[in-house]
Amino acid sequence: MEGEVVNTWLTLVVFVLPFAGGLLAAPLAKVSRATRSVGLCAVCAATLVAAASFVPGVLSGKVYETHILKLTPTIWMYMRVDALGALFGLTVAALWMLALVYSLGYMADEQRLGRYYSFFMLCLAWTMGVAYSGNLLTFLIFYELFSILTYPLVVQEGTPQAMAAGTKYIIYILVGGSLVLLAIVFTFFVAGDQTLSTTPLLDITMGQGQLRAIFWCFIAGFGVKAAIVPLHGWVPDAHPAAPAPFSAVLSGVMVAAGTFGIMRVVFNVFGVALLRELDVTRWLSYLAALTVIFAAILAVNQDNIKRRLAYSTISQMGYVTLGVSLLGEQAAVGAMVHITNHAFMKGALFLVAGLLIKRAGVHNVSEIDGMAKRMPFTCAALAIVTLGMIGTPPLSGFVSKWYLGLGILEAQQPLYLIVLIGGALIAAIYLLPMVYRAYFREPRPLAEGVSLASGADVSREAPVSMLAPLGVAVGISIVLGLLASVEGSPLSLARVAAESFFR
Amino acid sequence: MLLWPHWLALVVVVPLAGSVVTPAVARGSGRVAGRWAIGVMTVTFAIAITLVLRVAQTGPFSYWFGGWEPPYGIEFRFDEFSAFSAVIAFIGLLAVIFSQRYAEQALSPKRIPYYYCLLMLNLTGMIGFTVTGDLFNTYVFMEILSLSGYALVAVSGEKTAEMAAFKYLVLGAVSSLFVLLSIGMLYALTGSLNMADVSARLTAGVPKLPLIVALAAMTLGYMVKAAVFPLHIWLPDAHAIAPSPVSAVLSGLVVKMGVFGMLRMYQIVYRADVVDLSVLNTVLVWLGAISIVMGAFFAIFQDDIKMMLAYSTISNVGYIVMGLGLASQYSLIGASVHVFNHALIKSTLFLAAGAIIHRTGYRTLTDLRGVGHGMPLTGGAMAIGAISIVGIPPTAGFLCKWYIALGAFQAGRPFFGFALVFGALFIFIYYIRMVNAFYFQEPVHPEVARIGEAPVSMLAPMLILAALCLVMGILGRIPLSFIEPAVTRMLATIGG
Repeated sequence: MEGEVVNTWLTLVVFVLPFAGGLLAAPLAKVSRATRSVGLCAVCAATLVAAASFVPGVLSGKVYETHILKLTPTIWMYMRVDALGALFGLTVAALWMLALVYSLGYMADEQRLGRYYSFFMLCLAWTMGVAYSGNLLTFLIFYELFSILTYPLVVQEGTPQAMAAGTKYIIYILVGGSLVLLAIVFTFFVAGDQTLSTTPLLDITMGQGQLRAIFWCFIAGFGVKAAIVPLHGWVPDAHPAAPAPFSAVLSGVMVAAGTFGIMRVVFNVFGVALLRELDVTRWLSYLAALTVIFAAILAVNQDNIKRRLAYSTISQMGYVTLGVSLLGEQAAVGAMVHITNHAFMKGALFLVAGLLIKRAGVHNVSEIDGMAKRMPFTCAALAIVTLGMIGTPPLSGFVSKWYLGLGILEAQQPLYLIVLIGGALIAAIYLLPMVYRAYFREPRPLAEGVSLASGADVSREAPVSMLAPLGVAVGISIVLGLLASVEGSPLSLARVAAESFFR
Repeated sequence: MLLWPHWLALVVVVPLAGSVVTPAVARGSGRVAGRWAIGVMTVTFAIAITLVLRVAQTGPFSYWFGGWEPPYGIEFRFDEFSAFSAVIAFIGLLAVIFSQRYAEQALSPKRIPYYYCLLMLNLTGMIGFTVTGDLFNTYVFMEILSLSGYALVAVSGEKTAEMAAFKYLVLGAVSSLFVLLSIGMLYALTGSLNMADVSARLTAGVPKLPLIVALAAMTLGYMVKAAVFPLHIWLPDAHAIAPSPVSAVLSGLVVKMGVFGMLRMYQIVYRADVVDLSVLNTVLVWLGAISIVMGAFFAIFQDDIKMMLAYSTISNVGYIVMGLGLASQYSLIGASVHVFNHALIKSTLFLAAGAIIHRTGYRTLTDLRGVGHGMPLTGGAMAIGAISIVGIPPTAGFLCKWYIALGAFQAGRPFFGFALVFGALFIFIYYIRMVNAFYFQEPVHPEVARIGEAPVSMLAPMLILAALCLVMGILGRIPLSFIEPAVTRMLATIGG
């Protein structure tokens, strides 16, 4: 039972708007900086509204689609919004909106702003494209280019560390992209079709060996972006190098784009029934469990705040991959909704890290001591989101972990509960000390040679323009927990998506 | 329309006549020679376009010289592959436009008319090569384009240029001999020089060994022209040292003639279906794969941008040769379309590099750091070219990669799909170096970052080409479906 299919040009608008914004960022700045800020925010807000407008229809079982143009004699460039895509797209647009507003304050005294905003908006356009791709070739087009468009943002600061991180990033990502390309070519050759609908592309008659090869090719390719251990190497370097608002989206949705790809592979390309028959996802579960624990343990040792958060992202994305690989409906719901919940929580954490860097010159965990007195609001946000990450009810992190736990029990593999709870415990070990230091340690005198942003006063909180997006991100993290069961919430979207895949 | 019956002949006659009279028309003035060349190439391009439209509507057609029916008379035959002549004329036109200002600076004034004469002669040779239906004609046109090519490499008159040209000449002449030998043997075996006729006469009665030797000699000769590893050694110097518009023509077009020759040879023997080509195919596939990797490998160590681009040509010809060797429907379509697309992409890159060298006087990546800020449009064209040549979707390079990889699976050799995709990755590494140097690294020479754009006559050709790199990707179905009938026809006889 495929829901009603609606033809619409709105999917294209969601891509074209930020694309135009990216192209206009430099010309708008010629008029004035304020024009650019207002213009880009308007574009981003419009994108968000458009992305949100899909939600009611998708919830009632509709699927939106757009045939854009024929790329080859047989393959269309084709956009298709189903529940999973709508959920990811909405998350992307919302987090980008917050990061953009935050950038206006954060980046104000930085160099090369034209380039920053151009690529920031272009990345949004391409990521929206990834969310709404209707077939594998379209997916590839957006996925490859958005990885590359990210590169200028990673090396934005132009320091040797940033350049080195950028090189590492691009090589990892391109190797992954090439594997994805190979897997997609292979799939197309075997299946002869591309469309990502609820009817899987592949079936068992196509030969077990081939199917396994395709599966692992996909997983290795997307695994690089999704930072599955041992393919995670780029994440801890790229995050500290990039500017904080971009780290927020990098962690929140870009890494998640890899797990989104894995979901597409598992649910749309192979289908749950076929994967159960092939019995390959067991190994993916092992890898995901390893990722959760291994990255969390590494996070404990990091002194650099952004590096610690980056490892945390790897660990959290391991949860998502684990949820997908269990092939159960509840686990899938948990995985999907955890992408969204994690995006806002981790986004908020990176925004906090950015404020600490900008306003107080604090880069390392050991320097946070007593910051709560100087920046009370920032540290309150840190505390709330930390609890959310650990999975304390009623915050949003709890909801996704609840569903993941249910899924683990449903799949009758209770050992993974240890992973789930162990990961959360280690998250407490690496996140709580920051809160503890901020609130319960005496402030230290500023270290010698710590340079402050011009005009920053160590005793005062950041300006409202930067606190507001942080506040909203924290707010969303709370609301997503409290109102999880309301119709229209990410959870309801994830449920619709999972139902369609597990019929 | 008195000329209409002779339209196909005109596409060769116009540039040939236009080229040889250039020094007379110009009477020593480089400016007049430049204008004249633009005029001639515009007319040639217009003629070629009408031919392409005709072949798209009606399929292949022929022109018989003097009305003599083949195999007795000389035949020009225009099929879908011959549409490359329009690309030759187009890139030739853009290279000539680009040369207007470039030549003023790079060449001594009295050489300029001869430069245009040689350039157009070279283009004539290539157009003739693509449209002729006669084996001996193939050789004649190949020599026209090769000899003018040697001279064009040396045109700047510098010592290194002469050395490079000499190296090119020696290897080129040897390869031409191989091709000539092969044509002679085919004539001895079949008694004919018309390609269709040779194909028809290659029946089971033809002795196998001489035929195989003939085919091997022809392949060897064309592989030198196409700079397939390990026969590539003439290429980097020649392409890097030639004036940039000439590099665009040499890299984008002239090496394709080697590939084109192989394509024609395949057309003959596939139709005849008397020898087993699997050995040849295997050799081509492997050499293609090795070319991709080795080209990329050498390019990584280059600091000179034109040298880098020259090595990248070796890699890309590797794609095409691999596609030919895989010999499946998809891979042949991909390879044929890449002949077109790579011509556009590599010309973009060489013209942009030429503009950068023209403005700054530097040619190494180290010296050119920050040039992307000084020349934003040129840098942008270069970046688009780089993305296309690596095959990032949705640019022109991507669909070819997609088709050739698909072809590898279709031919039952997935390993080569793997080699192709990862070879492309290797290529990207050195283009990242280029992009890094242009945009993200601190300039060594501060003035480079404020240098200012190239003149319009250079900017326009390269921006048009850069736009085409994108258009050919987004509207990729047009070339793909255009070339498909030709490939289907070619494979029809071997049941592929």
